[in-house]
This record gives sequence, structure tokens and C-alpha cells, in this order.
Amino acid sequence: MTQKVRFGHKMREAHFGFSPSYTPLNHGSYGTSPLPVIGEQRRYQQQELERPTKFIIYDLPPLIDQARTAVAPLLGVRTDEVVFIPNATTGINIILRNLKFEQQDVIVHFSTIYAACEKTIASVAEIQPLEARCIELEYPISDEEIVRRLRETIEAVRKEGKNAKIAMFDTVLTFPGARMPWEELVRACREMGVLSLIDGAHGVGMIDLTHVGDVGPDFFVTNCHKWLFTPRGSAIFHVPLRNQHLIRTSIPTGHGYSYPSSTSPSSHSQTPFTYLFEFVATQDWSPYISVPSALKFREEQCGGEDSIRSYCFDLARTGGEAVAKILETDVMATTSPTAFTNVRLPISSSLFGDVPRREWESSKAGTIKSWLNRTALEEHDTYLQIGYHAGSLWVRLSGQIYLELSDFEWVGGVLKELCGRVEERSEE
Amino acid sequence: MGEASPNSVSKYERTPFGKEMLKHFLFDPKFKNLNHGSFGSIPKAIKEKRAQYQEASEARPDPFIRYELPDIIDENRAAVAKVLNVPAETVVIISNATTGINTVLRNITWDEDGKDEILYFNTIYGACGKTVEYICESARGPVQAREIKLEYPLSDDELVSKFKEAIKTSRAARRFPRIAIFDVISSMPGLRMPFEELTKLCKEEGILSCIDGAHGVGHIPLDLSAIDPDFFTSNCHKWLFVPRGCAVFYVPVRNQHLIRSSLPTSHGFVPKATIGGLSNPFEATGKSEFVNQFEFCGTIDNTNYFCIAEAIKWREEVCGGEKAIMDYTHNLAFEGGKMVADMLGTKLLDNEEHTMTNCSLVNILLPLSSSSSPAPGVYSIKEGYGTAVVHWIQRILVDKFQTFIAIFQFQGQWYARLSGQVYLDMDDFKWAGEKLRDVCERIGKGEYIKEDKKVDSVEMVVVGDLRKEGTTASA
Repeated sequence: MTQKVRFGHKMREAHFGFSPSYTPLNHGSYGTSPLPVIGEQRRYQQQELERPTKFIIYDLPPLIDQARTAVAPLLGVRTDEVVFIPNATTGINIILRNLKFEQQDVIVHFSTIYAACEKTIASVAEIQPLEARCIELEYPISDEEIVRRLRETIEAVRKEGKNAKIAMFDTVLTFPGARMPWEELVRACREMGVLSLIDGAHGVGMIDLTHVGDVGPDFFVTNCHKWLFTPRGSAIFHVPLRNQHLIRTSIPTGHGYSYPSSTSPSSHSQTPFTYLFEFVATQDWSPYISVPSALKFREEQCGGEDSIRSYCFDLARTGGEAVAKILETDVMATTSPTAFTNVRLPISSSLFGDVPRREWESSKAGTIKSWLNRTALEEHDTYLQIGYHAGSLWVRLSGQIYLELSDFEWVGGVLKELCGRVEERSEE
Repeated sequence: MGEASPNSVSKYERTPFGKEMLKHFLFDPKFKNLNHGSFGSIPKAIKEKRAQYQEASEARPDPFIRYELPDIIDENRAAVAKVLNVPAETVVIISNATTGINTVLRNITWDEDGKDEILYFNTIYGACGKTVEYICESARGPVQAREIKLEYPLSDDELVSKFKEAIKTSRAARRFPRIAIFDVISSMPGLRMPFEELTKLCKEEGILSCIDGAHGVGHIPLDLSAIDPDFFTSNCHKWLFVPRGCAVFYVPVRNQHLIRSSLPTSHGFVPKATIGGLSNPFEATGKSEFVNQFEFCGTIDNTNYFCIAEAIKWREEVCGGEKAIMDYTHNLAFEGGKMVADMLGTKLLDNEEHTMTNCSLVNILLPLSSSSSPAPGVYSIKEGYGTAVVHWIQRILVDKFQTFIAIFQFQGQWYARLSGQVYLDMDDFKWAGEKLRDVCERIGKGEYIKEDKKVDSVEMVVVGDLRKEGTTASA
């Protein structure tokens, strides 16, 4: 067994495939896999190449089941309540496109919803009677206030004679990178008789989710390829037994679909829900079956989830503070720690004029962001996740086990220089 | 020969078809790959090409995915559009044909009068049949499906007639045939359909044509400009030597407004209504809404999409191009299939004109029967074991003979489906015939009866599950 390596640059050199000149401070967007996990994935892909049909028909299903069994405890749920799908966006689409909405049905969500999810709601609303009710959130904001606004909005919907059917919210937002009080939100939904749909895209492998089973949301999706070190194209779709009858089809519909009038006993040994997702359509399944090797790496090389979590959270906190100090700005106040830190950029808001929440990328603020993205890459070989929130541009940085405080200090310097040039450019 | 410009210098070594081609592929030397049709396969060179892209995506994840990926996808869209003889703006890349069919059917707004009908054949691919059923189950205005039952063998004219009849019957019942789904080449049995005539007929009758060309690109010549369907999807991972999870989705410009959303919906979606513009984290491109929608559809590893152009090039340089490949594989499947049928004392599933077998799949009747006193040379299958014996055969071929052959039930009989490919030759088909004969003899001795009747769930996939339940109108 390989000698364990310390977190930080030693870990990066030993186990990650980043280009030497690249500084990866945006783990949150696309994740990455350590080389041993990629090696395992390649082994499986090789087996599939050596005997294609044989591997897919006979070897793959038990490997997928093993992966499901390995991952269920991370959510504290039963194995027959989890299946794999390619990504959280697909999960959200599966849920929203399976539910039957009636006139006066409303879906409640927050303004910080992931853009593609908001678009999914819009797309569904074109073919089903569904209204979206958006709750504005602006940081800093307390958890209590977030929950209060949800309750208030549900009550308001009801007062209008409409039906608050389902509420959708994140575990950890995409932007700003902030943890939502998802447990309290689920409880509020349950009390008020509203379905809860959790977009946990940033979830497993980052925050502790072993109590999802206890808290009991109605639907839950989480990406593995973001924070669990598995290859891209792997996410968990969790539906508790009590709700599985609501999911009539996978997306796309595949071989596992059963006709509503079907009364004959199934000739297979799976439950209807797990069978539905066992073979959807031909794809690369290797990301799913790489989960056990990712978990093994995290356990053996990293000392387990708690160890990874405390390093990442701590680094995000101290790193964010270091950057804020260099920029002479501040870190966005959020109630609970995550592996994210959001630091305000020293760019005068007078430079971006009016910024609509929904179309901000096509406004002047968006132009500045694009310039920063491109220039940081061209001149410093790093990608900066920059977004607009509550009147300022912010950078969202991700703590990870292959980074150290010096990486954050370095990026503070880069940002200081680039933001200075933004100010200058605007004077031209 | 003349001077070769840098662009035309061959990268790959020209190789004769058959055993010599095997060195380019990655199959275990002990395993005979006779079922290329189900999941396809790739040459080493394509595996290596993909690996380069995968490394690049880990070396610099964000820049690669955000800034390089779109251009690479566009190059590959253009390459496959060329093979299909259509403009690049009509082609996007998705994960598989099933997704393509789902995307079309979920985007159609069915008429509220509830008279719309979906026409399809009983030979439709299992998952597509289930998609049709699901649409009927879930659509807001009732939409029904009309199954057209084909009893093989039949000539192309007979098949087209059946289709015409179905249209007539539908209208006589005061319904509105809205869209028809049909294959280029069906799955099990693997038979070429007269899809060109069907498309033409749809056009004349004002019915949307949705072609499931899962077995399509790289398998038979396809001039989509000439055929001009309303929607078309085809897997690149089946016959084009592209890694699994890659298909083309073709929608002519005139129909692109009908595809409101990719599946899943993602950043490229542009809402119609007063909800207004919604945030898009990706930079604006000059591309159409249709192309934009499918550029980024949820995070996956789509480095396989990036291999299309290279696969086409490899086929050109190593094999001599698409026509050379298709001529070889069609001929091998047909002649090889005939030889196997002779060895088994049976025949091919074919029509007199041999239009059904004008492809690289061949279906050979197995000498098995459900009758308890079959003809000499034919073995009886015990009642209730019809499906179990299919799985038993597939299993024993893997375990004992290190090969996989797709076996299926059809019209009360059992068939084996073989795939012609560039790395196979007549010796391989002869070998297949010997093994199938061996396996049938074991069946004659009752060896399959020891097996438990319960089948593995995923094996059902290959069986194709043509038998359908549920209420539909049939022609």
C-alpha cells in the first residue's frame, strides 16, 4: 500500500493530474479524480473493451449494485433507495417531469437556484400547469430568516387559493457558495404538507449528509463527481420508498419502464424503482462503478470523510480571510462552514450600472467577469469562479486537499492586480 | 501519386479486413466479438485519442470544459454532418439514440382534442416502445399509440402497404396520425427497413417522420438531405467506432422550433414566456438556440464526442473509407449468415428481394421448436422455458466458448443475430456455426433444463422484450 501523503502540495504531486502551471481553485464546478481512481476506472474500461457485451450484460450490474451499496451509507438511507444517474441536472429533470401538476399548482424556490434548474421549471411549465414562486435571498441572511421566508411564501400562495405543491432548494448553493438550512427547510415543508426536492449538487463528499435518511426529504439528488472524487458523469438519485411510485420513468425512458396495466410478476429480482434505472440507455457506466475506489482513496489515503472535511473547511476559511486581507475587502458572511469561501472583489459597483438578477452575465458586470476569467487564465493559468451578488462581484474559491494556504495568498495577489486593471480599463 | 500536403499525410496504416485488423482493436485474444451490433467497439487509436482529451480535462478542468470543449464539439458535429450529407447546423451530439427518441416525443405538444396518434411498428426497440407507452400514459391531452404488426418475411412493398393501411385505419377512426417512428435497421431481429419509402409516405400524408437510426451512421450509406426526415437519431458508438455514449441528433432547420428543450433541460434553454431571460453561466455564442441547447446538458465526460472526426479519419485511412467498410461487412454478414444457416440446417430471416438483409446484421433461425415432436434435426424446447433457454444459450456461449451471440425469440421461433465487422471473416462465422450447433445439441440433451427460470434483469435488454402489454390500438 502506498505511503500516506500529507494534504497540500505533496498530495497534489503524488495523486493528482493537474498541469504543473495550473492552480485549481475551483474544484466546485467540475471536480476532479485522483490518479488511482482514474486508474481503476481505466481498468474497468479496458475490461469493457476486451469483451464488450459480456462485460456490460454480466459484470456491470453487480458492480453498479456494489457501488450503490457503498454510497447509501453516506446518505444514511437504504440501498434500494438510491440509484445512479449522470448528474444532478438529470435528477431534477426526472423528478419535475414525472410529477403530474394540476391547475393552481405552484413550485416554490429561492432566487439562488441553479440556473439550469430554473430553466427546467420553465420548460416543464410550458407543458404542464405549473407556476413558479421565487423567494429572494440576499446574503448575509440568517438560517432562521430563510426558513421564515419559505413558510411565509407557502402561506401566501395558499391565501391566493393556490396549491403549494413542492419546494425546491439546495444543500449548498452554487453561487454564492453557501450552505442552506436544508434540514429545517425539509421539516417546514413536512409540517406544511409540501413536497421537498433537494438539489444537493454540492453535497456528498463535502458536507456531512449521513442524516438525510433521518431528515427525510421527498426527493434528493447529489453529484458524486463534484466532491466525492469520482469521474464526471456520476450522481446519486435518492427517492425514499414511500415516494418511489411517483417516479414512473427514468430520463430517457429505458428498458426498466413497466406498463401501468402490467400485472404479471416481474421476472427479475430488483425492485421496480431500482430496475427502472438499471439499464437506461448505452453510456459510459465506468464513473458509477468507480465510486468504491474513490471511497477507498478517501479512507486510506486521506483518513476518511471527517479528515477531508475539516481540512477543506479550514483551508476555505483561512484562505478566504487571507484573500480578503490582500484585497482589503471581506469574506461573505454565511452561517455554516463549507469548502467554499466567497470574497468580495474590490471593483466599484459604479462600474457595473444596473444589474438585473437574471440576466447579469449580459450586462456590464458580466463583461467584467468574462474579462477576469480570460485574463486570469491567459496570464496566470487559473480559473476564477466569479459571480454577482447583492451589489458586488465576488470570487468563489474552493478548499481542497491538494491546496495550501499559499495558493490562496497567491490568488489574492493575482486578484488584486487584475481588479486594479479593471478599474483602470473603465477609465479609458 | 504526387506531393502529399501535410494535411493529407496518412496517420494510420492501411490494413486488410479480417484477422489482420484485430491488432488494431482491444479484444481479449481469447474472446470472439460476434455481437458488434449491441454496444459497438473502438480501435486502440481512438482509445488513445480519447485518453488525450481526458487527461487534458483533468490537467485544467475549467478552461478545458468552458473554453475548449465547444470548439471541439463543433468540429465533430461538422465531421459527422458531412457523412450524413447535411449542414452542420442541423446536427447536435447526444448520448444515445434512446435519448434522441425521448427528446422528440417529449417535445411534441399533443393536440388538446386528444385525437393524436403515434404510429410505430412491433419491431420497435424495447426502450423506444416503452417511451411511447410512457408518453401515452403521461400526456395531458390523451394521445394514443397505434402499433403496426409486421409478420416477417415480407417485401418492402408489403411493409409500406401495412403502413399505408394503418394511416387509413387511423383516419377512419377519426384520429390524427401525428408522428411515425420507425427504424433504419431494427434491433432484434436486425433487419433493414424501407425507411426511405416510409419517410416519403409520411411527407405525402403530413405525418412527422421520426427515424430511429440507432443502427445507422457507419452501417449503411445515409444521405439525410435526400431522405429528408423530420427527426433522425443515430448512435455513433454502434458502427462508427466512437466510444460508448455518443449519438447524432438531426433536426432540419424547419423543425428546430419544435424542439423546445434538450433532455435534460439545461443552460441553453430559452424560455418563451414572461419569465424573462434567465442566467446562463456560459458565454454567449453566435450559434442557434437549437445548437446551444445541446452544447452543455449537464456534466458528463463527453470526451467520446470528441473522437467522431478521428474515427471517420481512421476508417478512411485504415479501412479505405465508409463504402469499403460497408461493402465488406454487409457481404460478410450475408454470406457468413448463409453458411451458418446451412450448418444448422435452417435459413436466414430474409425476404425474396434480400432487402431485409442489406445490412451488416444477420438473423439465423435456430433449429429449436416449441412443438413436443418437432421435425428431425430440430430440438424441442420444454414449455415455459422459451425465455430461459435464450439466457442459457447466451450464458454458455460466454462461459464455455468465450463469445457473446445475441439470441432472441421472434414469431414463435428462436434466432441468433450475428454482426459483420472489419475484424471478422468467414472463418469466424464458420466457428460461430459450430458453436451454435454444439449448443443446440446440448439443448437436445436437455442441458438447459437445469437452469433456474429466473432471468437476470439486464439480460432482458439483449432479448429485446418485443412482447408488449398495455392498451394500444393496432392496425
